[in-house]
Amino acid sequence: MPEIALTAWQILLVKVLVILTIVPVGALAGGYAEHKVMAHLQHRLGPMYPGGFHGWATTLADGLKFLYKEDIVPDAADRKVFSLAPAAIFVPVLMIYLVIPIDRNLIVEDLDVGIFYLLAVGSISTIGVLMAGWSSANKYALIGALRSAAQLIAYELPIVLSAAVVAMYAGSLSVIDIVEKQNFPFAIWPPGIGLIAFLVFTTGAVAEMTRVPFDMPVAESEIITGPFTEYTGMRYIFSHMFAEMGHMVAFAGIGVTLFLGGYKPIIPWSPLEVVPGVIWFGLKFALMIFLFLWIRPTFPRVREDQLQKFAWKFLIPVSLVLVLAMGAWVLYV
Amino acid sequence: MAVAPGVRDASEVAEEISSGRLVTEEMLLNVGPQHPATHGVFRLLATIDGEKLVDAEPVIGYMHRGYEKLVEQRDYRQITNLVSRMDWLSNIQNELPLAMAVESLMEIEVPPRAQYLRVIMCELNRILNHLMFFASFGAELGAITPTFYAFREREDIQMAMEAATGGRMHFGFFRPGGLKEDVPRGFIAQALKGVRQVIDRLPDYENLLLGNEIFKQRTIGVGVLEKEVAYSYGVSGPIARGSGIDFDVRKDEPYLVYDQFDFQVSTAPNGDCFDRFWVLVHEVVESAKIVEQAFEGLPSGPVMGKVPRVVQAPVGEIYVRSENSLGELGMYLISDGDRRPYRLKIRTPSYNNVSALGHVLRDTFVSDMIAILGSFFFVLGDIDR
Amino acid sequence: MAVDERKLSDARKLSDARKSGFGLGLLKGMAVTLKHLFKHNTVIQYPDEKQDLPPRTRGVIALKEENCTVCMLCARECPDWCIYIDSHKETLPPKRAGGRPRKRNVLDRFAIDYSLCMYCGICVEVCPYDALFWSREFEYSEYDIRQLTHEKERLADWMTTVLPPPELEQGADLPGQPAAAAASATVEATGARPANLTSSAVEARPEQAATAPREGSFTTEPARPASSLPPQEQKRETSPEDAQPAPGLDTEVKAAQGLPGATTQPEPEVTLGAGRAAESVTQPADTAQVGSDATSAPEGQPPQKTPSVAAEPAVTAAEPVSQAGLRNLGGQAPVARPSTEPAGVAEDPEAAYRRVLQEQASRGSSPQVAEARAKVARVKAERGMARTATPAPATAPVQSAPQATPTEPEPSGAPEAQGPAPEPGPVAPTADEDRTDG
Ligand code: SF4
Ligand code: SF4
Repeated sequence: MPEIALTAWQILLVKVLVILTIVPVGALAGGYAEHKVMAHLQHRLGPMYPGGFHGWATTLADGLKFLYKEDIVPDAADRKVFSLAPAAIFVPVLMIYLVIPIDRNLIVEDLDVGIFYLLAVGSISTIGVLMAGWSSANKYALIGALRSAAQLIAYELPIVLSAAVVAMYAGSLSVIDIVEKQNFPFAIWPPGIGLIAFLVFTTGAVAEMTRVPFDMPVAESEIITGPFTEYTGMRYIFSHMFAEMGHMVAFAGIGVTLFLGGYKPIIPWSPLEVVPGVIWFGLKFALMIFLFLWIRPTFPRVREDQLQKFAWKFLIPVSLVLVLAMGAWVLYV
Repeated sequence: MAVAPGVRDASEVAEEISSGRLVTEEMLLNVGPQHPATHGVFRLLATIDGEKLVDAEPVIGYMHRGYEKLVEQRDYRQITNLVSRMDWLSNIQNELPLAMAVESLMEIEVPPRAQYLRVIMCELNRILNHLMFFASFGAELGAITPTFYAFREREDIQMAMEAATGGRMHFGFFRPGGLKEDVPRGFIAQALKGVRQVIDRLPDYENLLLGNEIFKQRTIGVGVLEKEVAYSYGVSGPIARGSGIDFDVRKDEPYLVYDQFDFQVSTAPNGDCFDRFWVLVHEVVESAKIVEQAFEGLPSGPVMGKVPRVVQAPVGEIYVRSENSLGELGMYLISDGDRRPYRLKIRTPSYNNVSALGHVLRDTFVSDMIAILGSFFFVLGDIDR
Repeated sequence: MAVDERKLSDARKLSDARKSGFGLGLLKGMAVTLKHLFKHNTVIQYPDEKQDLPPRTRGVIALKEENCTVCMLCARECPDWCIYIDSHKETLPPKRAGGRPRKRNVLDRFAIDYSLCMYCGICVEVCPYDALFWSREFEYSEYDIRQLTHEKERLADWMTTVLPPPELEQGADLPGQPAAAAASATVEATGARPANLTSSAVEARPEQAATAPREGSFTTEPARPASSLPPQEQKRETSPEDAQPAPGLDTEVKAAQGLPGATTQPEPEVTLGAGRAAESVTQPADTAQVGSDATSAPEGQPPQKTPSVAAEPAVTAAEPVSQAGLRNLGGQAPVARPSTEPAGVAEDPEAAYRRVLQEQASRGSSPQVAEARAKVARVKAERGMARTATPAPATAPVQSAPQATPTEPEPSGAPEAQGPAPEPGPVAPTADEDRTDG
């Protein structure tokens, strides 16, 4: 990029545009993948008609449908907060994409504090969810928002800690450095530690996305859609659909970057280097997404208190032990 | 509607906390009448304190259809089709007690082939019903996949039933005296295929739900219905058996030809959601066994006894009960010799079962409430008939 | 016993089932879903693929208007009272000179309100004259609940989709039945049915063969005249694609005979009746032979040389064998067709589209409704399942003679206008009486 003479503003503009296209497109593609993969896991076909070929345009059509829907704000709702909440949920999701390297040079912004930024930004959505739940003036939404806040905070920690393990290994907070440090994907090497860290991260990520089995906050059979119960139309897809899908895509990207060796080949073998990094990234990314999609239809959901217990009594201790183990590894191996 | 009713002074709250008497506000939560977990218009008036249910009161009657009154204006043939609609998941089993009541009042002998076919259809219907609840219970706990698998299984049996009766849900096939007509060729093969498929695939489903740790966490020890309480509410069916009550009308007071088959009444002692669900799954296997045996011993002959042209029960009264998918279904028929019943009192299983809900729901979590509602396997039509 | 308990998992024992599996259960669950990812999918893509519904399916009630004697039993027995019947009495000249003039009921209106109907089947069951049948057809939704009241024209239309009752399971007892009825049914079964059976409809869908009409199956239900519809109709119903060759041939036949084309404006029924009669006259008596041969050819395709004969007469010719068939069809199956429906057996999809559009416009339907219906018509035409007119089933020249000279050419298709008059009054139109009358 630097070769082309662009002013800082122009570069900024391009970057913003890139993100603004990647996220919705990613969310749409993710939505489609979710439709199809889940359908086949469930012995169904999923959408087959929209767009002709295997219903590829389903999510597009869905989005359009939501565009046309009436935007309803409940009478008792706190209008300002209610309308701001979707933005507060969605914008942080956009910001995550800033630091995910798709290839060595394909990154919007290589921040020095990459991971730190990633995790900090990722948890801003919590506020948006709380805003949505509180302002909706709906009991179900309130319960959902509180559940959501509690859960997002609880699972932020394991994610941070498992990321810290990676950072310790790489000795850097920059995502590019982290990827470069992984000759084998981190999930494979160092043995044991990496894999467990990866599992902890995946669990935390699923919880952050509030997807099954950690979807208590939006459990549709209990509290309808939790904080988003009162939302309709565009606000609904931005706050719920796009946020969830955007989160999923983002977390898959983070997972690939931190644990699966990003744009590097699976094993450090020179013939494999011929394949462009984008393809490696894409493959790993697809794997990650599939994992998320596979978990969803398989499990029932965990109860709220069990979910908290699981985070505080199991995941966090485990990740603390991992940090210790990693420290030992870095020092002695 | 204000979510937070009066904002209190911070210092006041601090003082309360320090003195250990922070009073949390209780909130009244209307679960239903339109709510995804209630499978229909059922309302639960829940008082919650945070995530805890302090009190819960089931409110029924939102879809009362007045069947007991309606049937007094309809003749027996029409009633068959009406009662079929009470419990829309075990339709053919609803028709059975009515047919049996009229038969015993009129002293009609039902030919053995009809009896066997009745048993077969009832058990097929039981499998259909249980698969349905298998599906919905999973869905309530957040596992959506069992729904689709169970519906695929249901389809084969459903098609067999449709081939025989012409209906998918409302079969209308039992008549006082026997069956409407004999089953079409291919029915046995089709039904057996469906049943065997269910049994073949059951392990998969058990792995998916029963064996799942999350599922166990959600259900074991949750919503315990003690044996005594179950007795006192008149709970029956899989729910009672899940509380360790070994009661099954098919065994204890055999009707039709149930005494000729070898099957077990599955019971589980703990009375929690898991046990209820476990019993449900096991009854599928037992029903499959009965179907197999019944097909083996299916006699040939007519399917309709000697019934006068106009079905007209003589003066008298009778109580007939049968084991519906969800429990004991009883019909108390009083006839004044007309073509219509003078009075038909229907004792439906769901009605009694649901009345125990208030007891079980006390002091549980909101999420448990959903698990308990799901594990009580009720059909709204059966409650408000 | 096929229920093998050993095959079932450890969840068999409650105590085992309640134990925690330390996460193994989670993995097992994931294996189950993964397994299904690679399994063959059994989903039916509904509007494109159709499920093969059994013949007993209670889809919609079809009315065989000629059989209805307006006895009102169905309307009375219906639990919802959703059958509306209007009729008037008509005086017919006496049979013999000097006899008393006879009275008969004429059906003016027969409508079922499907928004009320609970599909219990009581009406079909009680009808003593076999005028009501269940059809598997279920796609008749409407945009307005009031349009769900379907009049007798529509109900009669559905007659073409009625399947014969299925054969009964082994060991079924044949209910006591009058010998005569049984005999006639048997004759019919041997005469008309086998031709249909051997057609490719059965071969193409072996799974349906079990429930497909089969020789002798009708002896079990004397009350239901088995030849309630010509075999070709059934063939078309069971497998539309098999019937594909027929429509083209039909149009050919019609073109040759100067009949109104399939896509032209609706013609009064009478014209059609006359045309049919003429057609039947033009065809030699031995078409029966040719026809049966054609249909019993392995592929169900007519032999190359005799297309014009094979398509229709295969149906028509087989019929005269049975008295019962004649009695029921009475040579007037086309009578009940709504006058707005063209006589065509199948038509060009586009033409159908335009036709229905026009029709709807003239009826004053809203543009959306009109278009939706037109689309349905087009799709139906594409699949060769155009709402078919019964191709003049009883065309044995002698019997259908009266048809050619209708008493009164009434375009609305009033039943009394055509065909041999049914027996006066609510009496079963027994075959012999009927014929001598004509
Ligand atoms: S099926 Fe039943 S409800 Fe419908 S018209 Fe016939 S008798 Fe009436
Ligand atoms: S003949 Fe059949 S259809 Fe006609 S009125 Fe009587 S019962 Fe109804």
